[in-house]
Amino acid sequence: MNAPADQLAVGLMACGCLTPFGDAGATTTALLAGRRALEFSPVLGRGGGDLVPLALTGPMDETLPPRWLPALRQLGAGIPPAAWGAARSPVIVASSNFGVGSLYAFTRDHDTRHLAHGTPFASVGLLRGEFGWGEHVHIFSHACVTAHLGLAHAARLLHAGLADRVLVFAFDFVSPFVAGGFHSLKILNGALPAPYARRESGSIGLGDGAAFAVLTRDSAPFRLAAHALHNEMFHPTGNQPDGAGFAACAAAIAATAGGRRVWVKGHGTGTLEAGRLEAEGLARQFPSAPLVSWKGSLGHTLGSCGLVELAVALAALRGGRIPGTVGGAAPSFADNVALEPFGGTDFDGAILTSNAFGGAHAAMLLTHD
Amino acid sequence: MSAISSAAQPDLPIPDPLPLRLKLLIIATLKLDDVRPEEIPDDEPLIGSPRFGLDSLDALELVLAIEQEFGVKIGNSEESRRALGTVNTLAAYLRSCPVAA
Repeated sequence: MNAPADQLAVGLMACGCLTPFGDAGATTTALLAGRRALEFSPVLGRGGGDLVPLALTGPMDETLPPRWLPALRQLGAGIPPAAWGAARSPVIVASSNFGVGSLYAFTRDHDTRHLAHGTPFASVGLLRGEFGWGEHVHIFSHACVTAHLGLAHAARLLHAGLADRVLVFAFDFVSPFVAGGFHSLKILNGALPAPYARRESGSIGLGDGAAFAVLTRDSAPFRLAAHALHNEMFHPTGNQPDGAGFAACAAAIAATAGGRRVWVKGHGTGTLEAGRLEAEGLARQFPSAPLVSWKGSLGHTLGSCGLVELAVALAALRGGRIPGTVGGAAPSFADNVALEPFGGTDFDGAILTSNAFGGAHAAMLLTHD
Repeated sequence: MSAISSAAQPDLPIPDPLPLRLKLLIIATLKLDDVRPEEIPDDEPLIGSPRFGLDSLDALELVLAIEQEFGVKIGNSEESRRALGTVNTLAAYLRSCPVAA
């Protein structure tokens, strides 16, 4: 039996992101223009290797301090001030890989200074010190649905009366370790991703991404009205071949959307099998809703993608135009895949989804005035 | 001596050594200690086979071993899936690669 979605509405008091294009506004402008942040780069950075599509904010090589720290400082400057990390103002840090690239650098260089931020706990400790967060910091990691879990947990904290406001902070920066792993899986290869395109072979791109959101129970112009989470529990890596996992999550979030006119920001990494199952599952629930993915430009920012793409969605809604599926191409796996930008004023909600290795699925309903 | 033997049995087919080499590689890579090469069929699916219980993680290990052993580069996951269909499809794939050794 599939779990129903949480309908614990929370207000989005602030939200921002950082991609190779810049902040959420600059990123949305670039996507609307059809620009790709992905560029062909050596899969192992200065270690060389095959050229693969990566969307980087700077050279991928590990540095001391880690290259993601200055970028996160830049992002953090936009977070509204509060006693973050105090009991009533907890922080949720969401990442798929945290500082794992530093462990790779340690094995390569034998420089023990890399170990200071090579684990999730250590890298979050670095952020706590950097931003002056208190001790109420929760660490989440569940592959590519991580940010969704962080946002859903924040809503639960707020509705349980355990917090007044929650800062959700997500980041994932590409490292040679991570890029090399996806390259070994043969899904990060010498081709650009074409999300939802029905073609001979699939491929993804990887990207740097970070984002934050401040959530409260107060009313706000943009609200996260519902979260659906589903885990197939079918296989350590693969999806149920009939798409039942995608369908279950789509059905759960659709039940919360009621009669809203929605568009859908899907996961759409560029792989074939998962892309087909996802597009078909979403099209069954939302046949007339435009479906877009932005990973053909930004690459897959892994655990942070749900929050990065939420920030882009908000910026797009503010501007009135929703970017299409950059890098996509006809024919697509579903008729409702939108390759070109479209107007956002015809809608009163959006469904944002992410899917993860091992059959984890997440979706949220974004509503607005 | 070998020349005499060959001359005495001119019509016997020479066994293709590639499938046996692949089966030995599969056994070694995936540590199938209880499996003998002749127990791996040439034309039955390798991945997902209930007989050997191989899954996608095994496939990844196998791809890396094949690339290293034969000096080939498998380009994407679809190509990998096609190549790893059976021992025969894997052998055919390797023969089609110009740099395969």
